Amino acid sequence: MITTASTTLSPEILKDARRRERRVAWRQTRTAWLFIAPAVFMVGSFLLAPVIFNVILSFTRWQKFTGLDKFAGFANYQRLFAVPYFSEALANTAIWVVGAMVLPLAFGLGLALLLRNIPLQETFKSLFFLPKVLAPTAVGAIWYYVYAPRGVINSAVSGVTGSPYDMGWLYSAATVTPSVIVTFVWQTVGITMVLLLLGLAAIPRDPIEAARVDGASSGQIFRHIIWPLLLPTVLVVTILNVAAGFTTFDLLWVMASDFPGKRTLSLAVYMYYESFSNGAWAYGSAVAVVLGVMVIAVTAALAVIQSRVEKNIR
Amino acid sequence: MAVDITDQSFINGLIEQERRAQRPRGRWMVVPIVILTIAYLTPFYYLLVTIFKTSEEYAKKGVLELPASLAPFTDNVIQAWTIANLGQAALNSLSYAVVGGAIAVAFAASAAFGMTRLNLIGANGWFMLIFTGTLFPFQMYLVPLLFGYQRLGLINSWLGMLLVYVAICIPFPLLVLRNSFSSITREVDEAARIEGASEWRVFVSMIIPNAKGPLIALFLLQFTFIWNDLLFSSILANGIGVRSIMVALQSLQGTYSTIGPNVVITATLISSIPTVLLFVMLRKYFMGGLQLGSK
Repeated sequence: MITTASTTLSPEILKDARRRERRVAWRQTRTAWLFIAPAVFMVGSFLLAPVIFNVILSFTRWQKFTGLDKFAGFANYQRLFAVPYFSEALANTAIWVVGAMVLPLAFGLGLALLLRNIPLQETFKSLFFLPKVLAPTAVGAIWYYVYAPRGVINSAVSGVTGSPYDMGWLYSAATVTPSVIVTFVWQTVGITMVLLLLGLAAIPRDPIEAARVDGASSGQIFRHIIWPLLLPTVLVVTILNVAAGFTTFDLLWVMASDFPGKRTLSLAVYMYYESFSNGAWAYGSAVAVVLGVMVIAVTAALAVIQSRVEKNIR
Repeated sequence: MAVDITDQSFINGLIEQERRAQRPRGRWMVVPIVILTIAYLTPFYYLLVTIFKTSEEYAKKGVLELPASLAPFTDNVIQAWTIANLGQAALNSLSYAVVGGAIAVAFAASAAFGMTRLNLIGANGWFMLIFTGTLFPFQMYLVPLLFGYQRLGLINSWLGMLLVYVAICIPFPLLVLRNSFSSITREVDEAARIEGASEWRVFVSMIIPNAKGPLIALFLLQFTFIWNDLLFSSILANGIGVRSIMVALQSLQGTYSTIGPNVVITATLISSIPTVLLFVMLRKYFMGGLQLGSK
């Protein structure tokens, strides 16, 4: 039987079978096109085409009311470094990125380790997660009054010291960025903690118990067992928070609405201010391109590190 | 070292040691945690006492003092509702979030089906194309969208807002659903195909019911994103008839506003109700969504 079957598989039959197979594959591919078409169309025309147009736009001399104007080369990019606003916005963005990378992680990790073994863990988890469920606009509006001259923080300070205190946290260049970052951390620490708790739960208990039996201290156990195994989760959280640090807009726009120099509070705010308050569309596009390049470069680098670390653990 | 396992005191010692290891370590840690939690929740306490104060009361009393009565709350709600036209704005945002979130997840599911189940030639390339949509900061979309919308007459329109939200909410669900569809066994749809079911039928009645959990979690995440959006709606649709709840909320607050903090804070509470309610009722799915997000 078997020998007769293999002798009848002449080249022509084989070729025919392969052709039929290819026809089936093409038919499935054509059906598949129908399934992916809506998503491809929407993303292509509302996200990817705008990005390409944005890059082109950044090389023109376009204002709100002038219509699409002629090619301007790198003029917009040269202007970035000619005005002080951009460098200030860039410096503040750097502060934001470092703050968003370090602070939620440090506090989130502390909280996660504190909450890991206590009763009512679920309740505490939900309470700390609650701010994340609120919109940044709503959080910004609440904290705007928390920081107000007669707000919650100043009342607390004067309550403790006994003398009136009316610091304008959101009105001074020295305090506005740290203040808004504190609010950002308040909103982000809960989700960071929950993600870290998920990572902690996935760490096997046996090596920890074994180390404890061998007399290792809690610090040693954390440094040599928990931290290396938690590192992939830490890096995922870092990627999310760093991207948020680069692009946070709502919180700043709402909380610093009274601050005269608000355009320099971050690149995201600067881009919005130049494009939509000043109508300098081409220039705003150039700011957006710079921001995009930085976000993509940094998150890509972090993603590479993350996948390396994950591979090392396996 | 020989151990006499019949020695009762040795066994008791082991049991005691085991019990100590089992006990949640450091019950005293609850004290700093409670203090920390109280400090953390102070802004919520501030919100809670402020919504029951009148403007005069807010100006005279300390910000954390208790209100004189609960009655001013009704008036605060009425003021927030009428001055900022919150009713219309809430309705707009609700429709964007429900319709936009549902369409986006449906499109993502359909694309994920096409990429994982149909031997699509170049499936990875198509996936990367759509996934690129998560890489760029939103700031890169704004000016071109504004320009294009002005040309197409989509500016300040319900449809225009919906289209942006659908597009933005496709790439992430696609990433997640591609993974979860791949994990459903192939035999399910092969069997259905042999029975003569169309691809559409396989998709709707075999794949979708098998991925209900992720689909609901993804819808919730997209709903929350759209409801909370300020950036896109402030640029593309700030007319009273189409503007989102966050644009309305933001219009109340700020330098030139003469409206008392008690009314603004009441408005923040109103604008947070849907997402907080969803979170409380569907916590399980939200936390599931987080797990999706971290992978």
